[in-house]
This record gives sequence, C-alpha cells and structure tokens, in this order.
Amino acid sequence: MSIRLLVLIPVAAAISLALSAGVDAVALPLFLDTTGTILATALAGPGVGIATGVVTSAVNSLRNPTFWPFVAVQVIVALYAWLAARAGLFRSFKTAVPAGFGLGVLAALTSTPISYLVFGCTTTGGIALTTALGRALGLPPLGACFFGSFVADFGDKAVTFALVTSVLHGLPRRTAARFPWALRAIGAA
Amino acid sequence: MTRLHPFTLLAIAGALPALAWILPAPVGGLATAVVALALTLTPGASPGSTNTVTAVSPGSRPGLVVFRTALLTAAPFWLFLLLLHDLPTTIAIGLRVTTMVASFVWVVGALPPPRLVEAMVAAGWSASVAYVFAATLAAAPVLRARARRIADAQRCRGLSARGGLAHRLRALWALALPLILSALHEVDERALALETRRLVPGARRTSLSPPPDRGAERLARWGLVAACAAALGWRLR
Repeated sequence: MSIRLLVLIPVAAAISLALSAGVDAVALPLFLDTTGTILATALAGPGVGIATGVVTSAVNSLRNPTFWPFVAVQVIVALYAWLAARAGLFRSFKTAVPAGFGLGVLAALTSTPISYLVFGCTTTGGIALTTALGRALGLPPLGACFFGSFVADFGDKAVTFALVTSVLHGLPRRTAARFPWALRAIGAA
Repeated sequence: MTRLHPFTLLAIAGALPALAWILPAPVGGLATAVVALALTLTPGASPGSTNTVTAVSPGSRPGLVVFRTALLTAAPFWLFLLLLHDLPTTIAIGLRVTTMVASFVWVVGALPPPRLVEAMVAAGWSASVAYVFAATLAAAPVLRARARRIADAQRCRGLSARGGLAHRLRALWALALPLILSALHEVDERALALETRRLVPGARRTSLSPPPDRGAERLARWGLVAACAAALGWRLR
C-alpha cells in the first residue's frame, strides 16, 4: 500500500466522524457515518475501504460503544461500494442513487441480526421508535427490527452515494488520477 | 488502574461484555454489570481523557462523572427495551448492554489513546497501524471544527437549514462538499510529511516510553481469554 493510500484511511474515517456530527446542522434524519468508507473504496479499492470502515467503527466506539458491533456493516458497505465503483455507478446521480438504495436494503439486512441479538433493536432512539411502530403494525419482532433499520438506512445510503458521486466529480482530474479507482468509479477510465 | 498495561485494560473491557453475553441471564449480566460499574468508580477513570463526557460541573468527583456517564448512556436502552420487550427480556438485555457501555466508558476514561499507540509500537505492531489509529483520533476533532467553521461561513452567505427536504439537502451539500474536498486535498501534504519522516508501510519504530508489561499482567490477560473460552464451552455443553 502506498503512503498516499495509507494517509487516505484516517482522513476518510475523520470525514465520516465529522459529517455524522455535522449533519445535525441541517436537521436531517441521516447518519452519513459510512461516507468515508464509500469514498475511500471508490478512490482506492476495497482494502482501503474496509480499513477505513473498521477504523471509523473503532474510533466511533470511543464516543458511543454501541457502534462497535456494527463493524460488519462497514465491511459490507465497503465491498458493495467496490462493486459499484467497478461498475462505474458513481458516474451520475441516475446510477448512484439507485445503487445507494440497494445498499440501504443490504445494510438493513446486515444490521438487523446484530441489532436484534445484541441490543434487542434499541440501538438509537429513532430506530427503536420505528421498530415500535413496526410492532404496532403487527410485524413479528425480527420483522419490526428490520423495518426500523430499513427506514433508517434506505434514505441515508442513497444520500451518501449521491454525496460521494458529487465529491468524485468535484475533484480535479489531476487529483483524482492519483487514486487508483477514482476515474473508473466515475466511468472516465 | 491507569498503571495497568493498555492491553490489560482492553482485555478487561473486552472480557466483561463477552462474559455478560455468554453467562446465563440475568445473574451473569448482573454480575458483569456490577463489576463494570464498579470499575467506573476506580481512581484513574478520568473524565478529562474521555470523549464521552462532555461537561464536568465544578467540585464534582471525576470517578462519579464517569459512573454517571455510563448510567446516562445506558439509560435510553432500558427505556426502549421496556417499550419493545417484556420485563425479563428487558432485564436480560439491559444488563448486558449496561456492562458493555460501562466497560467502554471506563476504558476510554482510563486509557489515553497516545498510551495505547505507545504500547502497540512497543509490542511490535507496524508503525502504519499505530499511525492510522492515532491520525484518525487527531484528525476527527480538526475536521469537526472545520465543519463548524464551514457551516458558520455558509450561514453568513445566506445558507438556511430550514425549509423542505430538497432545501435541506442543498444545505447539506453546501456544508459537506467543501469539507470533504479540502480534506482530500490534504492527503498529498500528509503523505509527503510521512515520507520525509521515513514512515513507509511495514516500517517498525521504537517506542520512546513503552508502558511496562509485567509477566503477571500477561498471565492475567491469558486468564481472561481462558475464562471466556471456558464459559463459552460450559454454555455450549
């Protein structure tokens, strides 16, 4: 791994941490805690993306320990983003947003068993309330847990994919060319 | 407690939640939760070194602040568990979550990250691994502060975070894009700084002041691993 890619890991992890805190400024019900993982994968491939996801979860756990069990979700996100980058799905919003919706479903499927078995579906207030809504709608416990995770992840991952697409297109070509996957991710190589 | 080797502190913080989930509920969870909460009251669990504690009132006892932080972090889980489950399930899961929260809050208070990095370097971990962990801890508050500055600057230019969803998403873009692009432009500078210090991937460094790692502590760490394995074997029997 080159020095540039090594440096990208903490920078991307810090981007996730800063954005998940900064999203409060616009009062949107989003996490954006996988932005750095998706961005690092789109720029530098799955190894850097997975490392970024693991570091993000580890450092986030120092703030809120409930993040650590969800490290598996970060790994899945990195692998999915790699496939999306290989397919050039970051070339426009038209391809990135549906891909983000797909990741939302996958992330919900991955996080549901963790949330159900470890926390009884009570990871955050919002998810617990949507899970309670699912129970009130007559869903079984695991189904209600998936419903809560799905509501949280579906829009969040689509917005994250769109945001990463904007960043990749906003990077100067010369800067993007320094990262091995950036041009392929936007369909320019 | 702070005199213990960082790996010992991490082993305790990892073993308690593991035992809480392995041992039968609610007795196992209760025992581990009591131990974890007792640890938050030990000297050395300092709010000054923890990120989870945001405010310390004058005259408060540091140990109690860490204890209170653990309780306040765990409390919402109990509330939501009670909303979603019956009482026995709430107690079983709640005690496990309380153990996990209290263990992490304690270890964050008792273990300054630079000391952990020193221990990792002294133990022969690659300097790259230690760098990634330390650099993330250093970069996160810098980028958070920059995000606040960008938000303030955009507000001065008339950006409003009120209104409909589309309006808020536009506001998010105006905040996030400058932050991410500026961070990415720093990658080359940081890489150059590391290269001039000969920190290439795979390089090994020597620690300036490695934390002492006594034989008894190493034995205790293996003992914790053995205890978790034995408990798991007993439950699966």
